[in-house]
Order: sequence, then structure tokens, then C-alpha cells
Amino acid sequence: MFTQKNLILTRSNPCGQGGYQFLYKIGHYGVSLGSKPQEEIQQIHWEADVIRYTSETPLTYEVCHTTELASKTLKFLNDSTLNEFLEKAFEYFKELGSLEKMLPEE
Amino acid sequence: MSNAVAKPASWVPKGDLQKEISAEKMLLELPRELQFITGSEAAREAIKRANIDCAISYPITPQSETMQQAGYLFDEGYIKEYYRGEEEIGVMSAIAGASRAGVRALTATSGPGLMRGMEAISSWPGARVTPVLLNMCRVINTPLAIQPDNIEMSFILNTGMIMLHAENQQDFFDYTIAACEVTEHVDVTLPAMVSVDGFFVTHARGPVSIPSDEYKLNRRDGWKNAVPAMDNENPPARISRDAPIQKSNFISYHMHASWQQEVFAAVERSAKYFDVLLKGRVEVINPEAEEFIIASGSAVSQAREAIRQEGENGRTVGLVKVKTIRPFPSAQIIAAVKNAKRILIPEFNQAGWLHKEVCSALYGKCKAEIVNGPRVYGGMTMPTEMILEWLQKTRKDFA
Repeated sequence: MFTQKNLILTRSNPCGQGGYQFLYKIGHYGVSLGSKPQEEIQQIHWEADVIRYTSETPLTYEVCHTTELASKTLKFLNDSTLNEFLEKAFEYFKELGSLEKMLPEE
Repeated sequence: MSNAVAKPASWVPKGDLQKEISAEKMLLELPRELQFITGSEAAREAIKRANIDCAISYPITPQSETMQQAGYLFDEGYIKEYYRGEEEIGVMSAIAGASRAGVRALTATSGPGLMRGMEAISSWPGARVTPVLLNMCRVINTPLAIQPDNIEMSFILNTGMIMLHAENQQDFFDYTIAACEVTEHVDVTLPAMVSVDGFFVTHARGPVSIPSDEYKLNRRDGWKNAVPAMDNENPPARISRDAPIQKSNFISYHMHASWQQEVFAAVERSAKYFDVLLKGRVEVINPEAEEFIIASGSAVSQAREAIRQEGENGRTVGLVKVKTIRPFPSAQIIAAVKNAKRILIPEFNQAGWLHKEVCSALYGKCKAEIVNGPRVYGGMTMPTEMILEWLQKTRKDFA
């Protein structure tokens, strides 16, 4: 089972193709995790994107492919490698949050 | 009949090691563990715990996965008898025979398979047999497609079957367990169809809380049904229960009519059991709302997200999730939307069968404008934005 830590929203895939989307959040950053239907069960996988939240209410975000964590959508085939990535991401977002606080406000 | 590989003498069927309990205990009392599994896998977990005596399969996309899983369960000893039929008429006829013999019977199909088996399926309620049919909805009309579309459910509405419509993987597990028990109550004794939208749910993973597989449902007691089990070792010389009903005279029409009345009365009597096991036959969110969405199946999931987004924008939209299509929860829907001014009914089919059902239930009992849509079909998706756009348009049209 994948981690439920820092999970702020579970919803059906908004595109309507079936499957679920899970949104994780630490500070302004987070991970959008999706799992869509596949014809063969073995083909079912996770797609993870690093995201940056642009608003809390309504909850909006933009995909962020410019962090050191990931420059593209990542694919995971099982929960253990996914959890490994998420734990790493949570730590990274905490550090990123601290660093961003040190920047002068624009 | 079965092509099972011979087991060693020391082999114990895993089903024999399970402890028998009621559906109420299994669904409402036992602790559960969260898993992330497909709808087909959720069906497998339900079958594993449903104490199925006989399962008969015939492959059709997107159902094949489920009955393949049932085959593995047979091999492990969770199902006592399992084989592949010739085609759907054969399967639906044979499964009725198994049920008539007093055992708990289960099969599964999808769209065109359901249509092919219709002759046999439509005879189940009148015969008062109790098989559970898992139906993974799929397009039935030309051009050929294997995508989800639940129009086939409209063909079952007036057969006398119990009908449940699962929103997601969790429902597919819970509803299957509930159906296996409710069908066999002496004041019900009817078959049930548990439908789920194919691919969107069957071939996608979702969170499912399930109790331990150390437990299974109490076994069926065929002698406690409204029509007792038939002794297939010593079958009656004439299988027909009542010969006069097949003769064309006034008494036969009268008997047939009263028989049908009893079938549909039995459907209504099943409601009290589903009210307990499913914690109500409808789920209502934001009951104070003036705008409502009424939906069943995976359209509910899209509607949930739509009302969440509306909530973020300060607008309260209500939701009525219909769990049981037969018995149809008319009174609960009427009560839920008593303050509604506008009602949307999103569906994954061209016919709009839920819209028709809701209109029949609310006619003369609700002043709301009931909007016929949004609807998608042929395997189209229903993005959340589509529901949001319809809500916006409805507000303008019926301000």
C-alpha cells in the first residue's frame, strides 16, 4: 500500500477515464499521483508529477518539471519504489520550503 | 465437468478453513485492511469470502479477468465447483440449474454477453432462483466497442431482478457480499445483478477496505427459500412447477399475473436488508442544497469531484448516490431532494434510464427542474468539467 502521509485529496481521475488521483502537499509543493485503467492488470502503474500549488481555495496547482527531483512525469511499477520516491520528495519539499523562505520577497 | 488437476490426498480446500459469519458481521463489524486493487480484484476478494458453491464462466471483455480470478479461487478451494460454459445462454441456464439445486451460484458477464444470456436471465426471477450475476458494463450496440457504457442495465430493469450499481472498487466488493446473502432470504428468493462500469473500475486500481479472508458468508440453506431446492438426484418427472400456467385459459393468465406481482413484491421486500448492509440505499451529500446531482455507478465519482469544486467556489451542490436500482429508492430520493430547485442526472448511456426512473419517482412530488443529462456513451469519458458546465448552464436556463 502506498503512503497516506501528507495526502490531502483523493479523487476519481478528473479527466473521467477512470482510476484515481492522489494529491500530496508539503508547503507549496507536492506530488500528483495518478493510476489509470489498463487492459492488462500487470500494465497498471503509477504516474507521478511534482507540482507547485498556486492556490489552496480553490485547490489549484501547476506541474513543475524544473526541480532536482524530476524533470518529467515519473512512472512507478510498484508501491515500494513509489513510497521510496515519495519519502524522498517529502524531505526535499521541506528543504525547498526552508530555502524559499530565505529568499527576499518579490 | 471440471478440468481440475488432481490434488494430493492431504489437500484441504482453503474454503474449509474459513469461519462462517453473516454478511452483517462481515460488512459492518469486522476490522478492515486498506488495499489498492482493481475492480476485478475486488470482485475476487468478495467471491473468496462469499462461500460460493458453483461458479460458471464464459469470457467476454471486460469481465474475463474476474472469472479468471474465480478459476484461481476454485483451484485454491474457495469455490466448490467451477467450469467454463459454451456461451452465455448455456451459462445463464446452467447457473439457474445450480441455484435451483440449492447451492450458492455466481457468474459474470458484460454488455453483449448479458444480451445473449437475456432469455435465460429474464426467467430467473419468476423461477425464484438466486444466482448473483456480476455485470461489468460495456457497449452493446454497433459499432463494436469494448468501452464502458451502462445501457445494458436498462434491459434488466423490469425483469424482477435485484439490481445494484457500484460506484467504485469498494462498492463492488461490498455489494457482491451483500447480494449473495440478501438474494437468499426466504422473503426475497430472487437473483441479483451487481453492475459496475467496465474498465473505469474493473481495470483500474482504487482503495478498498476488506475484512480478513479467514471469514466467509454462512452457507446457503436452499430449503429456506420461498421455492425450495430441487432434489436433482431424484428430479420430478416434469420440471415445470405448475402445468396449468402453461395452458391458455383465464386461470393461467391470473396465475401468471399474481406470480409476477409476487416477484416484484419480493424485490421491494429486499430493501430492508440493503438498508442495513449498505447503510442505506442512497447516500446524500449536502442535503440542504437547492441544486442536486442524482447519479449511480462511476458517474457518482465524477459528481463528487464536481460538488467538491463547487464547494471551493462557495456554491453548495447536493448529491444523491443511488446504490440500489431495484428496489428503486423512490421514497429516499423524494425526501432527499425536497428542497431542490434544479436536478442534474449524469449518465454513461444514451437512453438516460436513470433520468426516466428519477422522473417517474419525483412526478408530482417535487417542483425541481429535472435536467436530462449530461450523458456520455459509447465509451466516452465524463470529465468533471462537463458536469460543472452543465451546472452553470442549468443555473442560467432555470434561474
